[in-house]
Amino acid sequence: MGIFDWLKGPDPATQAQLLAAAERQGDIVGGLRSGRVPRAIASRLDGARTGRLPWLATLTPAELLIARSHGLTPVAAVSATCWMQYGWSWTEGHAQGWHMALHRLRQEAREAGANAVVDVKMRTIPLDIEGSMDFSLVGTAVRLKNLPPSEHPVVATVPALEFVKLLEADVVPTGIAIGAHYEWMTDWRGNANMAWMGNSESAALSNLWNHVRGLAHADLRRRTAEQGNGALAHVNFSEMFEKEGGENQPKQYLARHIVVATTVDIKRGTTGFSAIPHEIGMVVDMHAGGTPLTGRTQHHQSYASNESEGAI
Amino acid sequence: MTLDLPAHAQERLKGLRASQHSTGVFTSDFSVNEFLLVRKAGFEPIGLCVGSCVYHVGIQYGSWRKNEEMTVLSRAMYHARELAMSRMRAEASAMAADGIVGVKLTIKRLEWDANLLEFIAIGTGVVHGHGHAGFRAHDGGPFTSDLSGQDFWSLLHAGYRPVEMVMGSCVYHVAHRGMFASLGQTGQNVELENFTAALYEAREIAIERMQQEAGAARAEGVVGVDIHEGSHGWQTHVIEFFAIGTAVLPLDREIAPEKIPDPIMVLSIND
Repeated sequence: MGIFDWLKGPDPATQAQLLAAAERQGDIVGGLRSGRVPRAIASRLDGARTGRLPWLATLTPAELLIARSHGLTPVAAVSATCWMQYGWSWTEGHAQGWHMALHRLRQEAREAGANAVVDVKMRTIPLDIEGSMDFSLVGTAVRLKNLPPSEHPVVATVPALEFVKLLEADVVPTGIAIGAHYEWMTDWRGNANMAWMGNSESAALSNLWNHVRGLAHADLRRRTAEQGNGALAHVNFSEMFEKEGGENQPKQYLARHIVVATTVDIKRGTTGFSAIPHEIGMVVDMHAGGTPLTGRTQHHQSYASNESEGAI
Repeated sequence: MTLDLPAHAQERLKGLRASQHSTGVFTSDFSVNEFLLVRKAGFEPIGLCVGSCVYHVGIQYGSWRKNEEMTVLSRAMYHARELAMSRMRAEASAMAADGIVGVKLTIKRLEWDANLLEFIAIGTGVVHGHGHAGFRAHDGGPFTSDLSGQDFWSLLHAGYRPVEMVMGSCVYHVAHRGMFASLGQTGQNVELENFTAALYEAREIAIERMQQEAGAARAEGVVGVDIHEGSHGWQTHVIEFFAIGTAVLPLDREIAPEKIPDPIMVLSIND
């Protein structure tokens, strides 16, 4: 390459590549704006649906085994992202971001002709870009034997094994629900300042918490009702901050709570035998570690937050 | 094992059935296995129950040379947990739950004030599928337990039911050693008997208090007892012993031990 080559502009091959990349970008942005699956992805999913392209599954071989024995066929790996900037609310930004990603994942699953997406994982890239974060979902679209494709594929955040366990019990994992709430409390009368007091509850802060958590859970119920009739909440996240009020201004407190759940659709009143249509036997695992009879998991996490301080 | 899908599940997967449920939504923090086993045991989850309490812990200094309980701190740690737990239980009562399974008790320090601690109790309220009222606690309210869904199933099959999550707390000051005693023993292997004794006493007080709670709940025994040691930003020689467990009673129709099937021995080959 000569030193003046940059004056000539890129060669035709590079030019074509740049053009293709620009087109793909344009297609993706166009797809996001108009709320459809970008064309390149749609054609990949269509290829997988019709068998023109090989299927893709995020499942391990063991999971593939159980999926196959239970009539599930993997179709394609599907994914969705929504990179949100939190405008006026970090807390509600999270809920919105996940909901948007979920909506896009469902669209991809529908393009793939799937009945369900299993093994859906919630991901976030550890890039700390000011005031924003990406909400990504990755999973495997599957078809069920003898069922026509669904217009509303269910989204299961559980692995294939748990998916079939749930189906057997007549429980369908359907999606992800996020309940979120935050609130600022301005401490006009200095109620939260207790520096010189003895043992006593801080009623102001306790009430703030109860209020915020209550509303976050109510939000979760509402969001769950859109997709199913139950929620298995695996993330309960809460934070509280104090903000100095400045000169002659009262302090402010921010409390926020986010709860993330896998929603399920379940026939009520089917406890007992039909909850798991097998007898459950007790086994003693002779394997070192990993058995509930020897190595116990922690009962509660009272000290999880300050373990590093140690004893005495 | 092949998949014969129940009709309800099939319709949902076909996308035929309406996905909008107006009423009867439950929430829980169960994992899939817990959820299935709790239902297998005959219970339905109905809702997450949460209780929290932000507590300002008073200040107390132990005297330098003395082993002693820090009663102000002990009382604070117990009272705050009790408040969080009773609020959680009140939520369960309000939703007419028969009990709360999988209670997790956590403590967080609020960053702007070393004496402010936040106590959170969270668990899943459950009802018996056939409305059996015999699972309530002695006062007719919901039972509480920190057992997981798996442990809950195992406990019922061992012929017992949970009654109440019981706890005992003791914050203790361990005496400092005198300078002459330390000097005199430099380079020797000696047991620091007053330290040993301090831990014995503190642990014993915590266990005793937990046992008293179990007695008050008219329980036969306590399973899953765990004793934790922790410090929540106090002086270096101050430590909390916290005992926690689930008080249990035999089921109203007791299972004879010979009726409980022997577990099968297996060796799992995955590592």
